Amino acid sequence: MLDDLRRNVRMIGVLLLGLLVVLFVYVSYIQVVQSDFLAGHPLNRRSIEAAAKIERGQIQDKHGQPLAYSEADAAGKYQRYYPYGAISAHVVGYSSSQYGTTGLESAFNGELSGAGNPQHRFGPISNLWTAKAGNNIVLTIDAALQETAYWALGNRRGAIVVLNPRTGAVLAMVSKPGFNPATIDDDWRTVTSAPDGPLLNRAVQGLYPPGSTLKVMIADAALAEKIADTKRIFVCEGSLKIGPDYELTESNHQAHGKLNLEEALAVSCNITFGRLSLELGRSRMEKTFERYGFSRPLVGELQEVPSRLPDFSRLGDGDLAQTGIGQSSLLVTPLRMAMLAAAFANKGTIMRPYLVSRITALDGSTLKEIAPAEFINATSPALADTVKRMMVAVVNDGTGYAAHLSGVQVAGKTGTAENPHGASHSWFIGFAPADNPEVALAVIVENAGAGGEVAAPIARQIFAQALR
Amino acid sequence: MDTIQQERGLLLIAALVLWSGLLAVDLAHGKINVNTLLIATGLILSWFVIQFAIRKIGHTGDPLFLPLTMVLVAVGLIMVYRLKPDLFLLQAVWAAAGLAVFILSAYFFRRLPFWADYKYIWGVIGVALLLATAIFGTEIGGHKSWLILGPVRFQPAEFAKLFIVFFLAGYLDERRSLLTFATKSYGPLVLPHPRFLAPLLAVWGLAMVMLVLQRDLGSALFYFGTALIMTYLASGRKSFIVWGGALFIVGMVAAYYIFPHVRVRFDIWLTPWADPNGKAYQIVQSLFALGSGGVLGSGLTYGFPDIIPEVHTDFIFAAIGEEMGLMGSGAVMLLYIFLIYRAFRVSLQATTSFDMLLAGGFAVLLALQILVIIGGVTKFLPLTGVTLPFVSYGGSSMVTTFCLLGILFAISEAGSTDA
Repeated sequence: MLDDLRRNVRMIGVLLLGLLVVLFVYVSYIQVVQSDFLAGHPLNRRSIEAAAKIERGQIQDKHGQPLAYSEADAAGKYQRYYPYGAISAHVVGYSSSQYGTTGLESAFNGELSGAGNPQHRFGPISNLWTAKAGNNIVLTIDAALQETAYWALGNRRGAIVVLNPRTGAVLAMVSKPGFNPATIDDDWRTVTSAPDGPLLNRAVQGLYPPGSTLKVMIADAALAEKIADTKRIFVCEGSLKIGPDYELTESNHQAHGKLNLEEALAVSCNITFGRLSLELGRSRMEKTFERYGFSRPLVGELQEVPSRLPDFSRLGDGDLAQTGIGQSSLLVTPLRMAMLAAAFANKGTIMRPYLVSRITALDGSTLKEIAPAEFINATSPALADTVKRMMVAVVNDGTGYAAHLSGVQVAGKTGTAENPHGASHSWFIGFAPADNPEVALAVIVENAGAGGEVAAPIARQIFAQALR
Repeated sequence: MDTIQQERGLLLIAALVLWSGLLAVDLAHGKINVNTLLIATGLILSWFVIQFAIRKIGHTGDPLFLPLTMVLVAVGLIMVYRLKPDLFLLQAVWAAAGLAVFILSAYFFRRLPFWADYKYIWGVIGVALLLATAIFGTEIGGHKSWLILGPVRFQPAEFAKLFIVFFLAGYLDERRSLLTFATKSYGPLVLPHPRFLAPLLAVWGLAMVMLVLQRDLGSALFYFGTALIMTYLASGRKSFIVWGGALFIVGMVAAYYIFPHVRVRFDIWLTPWADPNGKAYQIVQSLFALGSGGVLGSGLTYGFPDIIPEVHTDFIFAAIGEEMGLMGSGAVMLLYIFLIYRAFRVSLQATTSFDMLLAGGFAVLLALQILVIIGGVTKFLPLTGVTLPFVSYGGSSMVTTFCLLGILFAISEAGSTDA
């Protein structure tokens, strides 16, 4: 009788222990095979909680003014604050628990968060290298200049990029319309559905036809390729027939008559620069764009969208002439046009634009310093000086007079870029002081009309603030 | 004796686990709390004293029970200290009380047949406790399993399970020969004798009441399963399990269609990702904790188990899985598997049928409880409000399980002398 009982107990024992082993295998499956899926699941708050436990580093302007900082709330969780709000939004980006990070918050997330994402694979060992606080990043941005640029654009759509031509340091970068990174979680729906795209950083991601601002590059190309010298006289009859069925015209059908290269740039003569482009031809035009780095991508924190260059080998004469005056299918970013201006301000050399100059620890000690670096050598110092003098003439006697500043010689070029989206985009690129340039910039105001009327006065305000 | 020294060595390992775990939590917080270590040392001393005393009186019970249990208690204390430091002292006190209950039951239940005579009284008490909870129960922390009598609040279901196993062992032992052969034919149907069916139907009814009134699918499964399996142990008739299982499934299906809250429980289990932030929040958070822990875990205090509601009681297993990884959760499961294996071994080596049934019943009870709670928090089974024995925070569970262990310990002595 007892043996029967014992047999039953043994059977049940084996069955239940077997079930426990099955459960053991199942738990192992969850913790090993499903681990990545569960740990990385969007509803799993652990990585956000982990980030909220350490103080995210500050983003500071060149003078140490915080543009973004974290402060613990009463519960000990860190919140992100943006004292400049929309003014520095596109530079700084946002750090949202719901929508991730953008801008520098994203590009330097590793430094700012102290590389604090615990690698669950390493288990407790990873706690050895988990920092208590992130590092600060110090920008090249001048908060006061950034503010001036922001307010100078007013309520119009557009972008401004201000560079130090000698180092490539970005002193200000504004894109409008903006957004408030501090309230991005609440504003998400409005911001993402707005037709004018507030999240788009137009300074580096907006693609525009450069219009007449590109003529400074064509002037240099004509001189460099010895197609023209400063004395050659051009004749403008108000229009230029190219091939059987295309006619290049001045914007107001006004004939400029006889003029030299400097005068042609000052009045922004389409006929002269169209003719020069045709004389340069496809391959030399393509080479010029390469020389100025338009086809070389910018690596690093600026997250630039590459320029759209035409396929020169397949370009018809009409489009070739159009490209020479910054139209046709050519599309560039405002940053690239600021770099073009900087080339003539810096003896023909374009420095690599950068936003972050230093990484510092919590106590302020410097962990890493970013040295200025050459991006590309665009033209010779002599030619750069010649084009610079022409750009001075543009501001002193030409279309760019509105950028004129008393006491400081400004050099520049206006642009009025036709586009399929309405009125022309208003451009100004330039630098100052002309003999010893400290700032170079590009200003674009979308669909605002003539460059000399809208963009040039904005540039003037920025020069005034920057050279104060 | 050699085994006694080995037992002492294993207890020392349990002590080291407790000390190092508490120190790890303290060091992660940057300050060592002397009180905590004193409390832990006190408890450790008490388990060595208990071991010394029980061996001094010549008790030859299973030498693995105490060490296995103490490691589980240590893991539980570490997690309670990490999750709810305020409750640490109380949990240590409960563990000490449990040890006292252990030595008392290990001593007194050496005279088991005497206790078996009162089986009906135990049965009535058990059922009364369960019904009282179902009817007068107060909801604390999401479970309607508390009785509040003046200043005392406890979970009677924890105690009830001991009484019910006791009753079943006595009842089934007495009618064993009857059950094995007695069947009644109703035309083509061959049904067990009503005498056998009666207690089974009673427990089934009880389980259904728990399911409906307390929304506690796991508890229902685990009471009914224990009763059913014990009946099988006594009778050896698999048809009873088939019948019982069918009865239970019919009851559950009926409850699913009749009671919306039962349906919700099932739906959470079957499709947790349909409402991960609502009804299925707890189980989904538990799965996140286990998955984030991975193999090695986040390290004590470096995880976020606090996101899970009720983490220090029912969901403590998920917290262990998150902060200690599969290394911790797997170790805990292996400890239980060893313990349950030893409990079945006690039953197999018992010398009387009553001892065998009682030990077998307790082993089944323990195994089902582990299956139901660990299965519940890992979505293996529907979620339920059962504690993880020796590990979860709570006095009722701690004291009852120690009592159960003491009885098994007492029975194991009879087996060991015989062998």
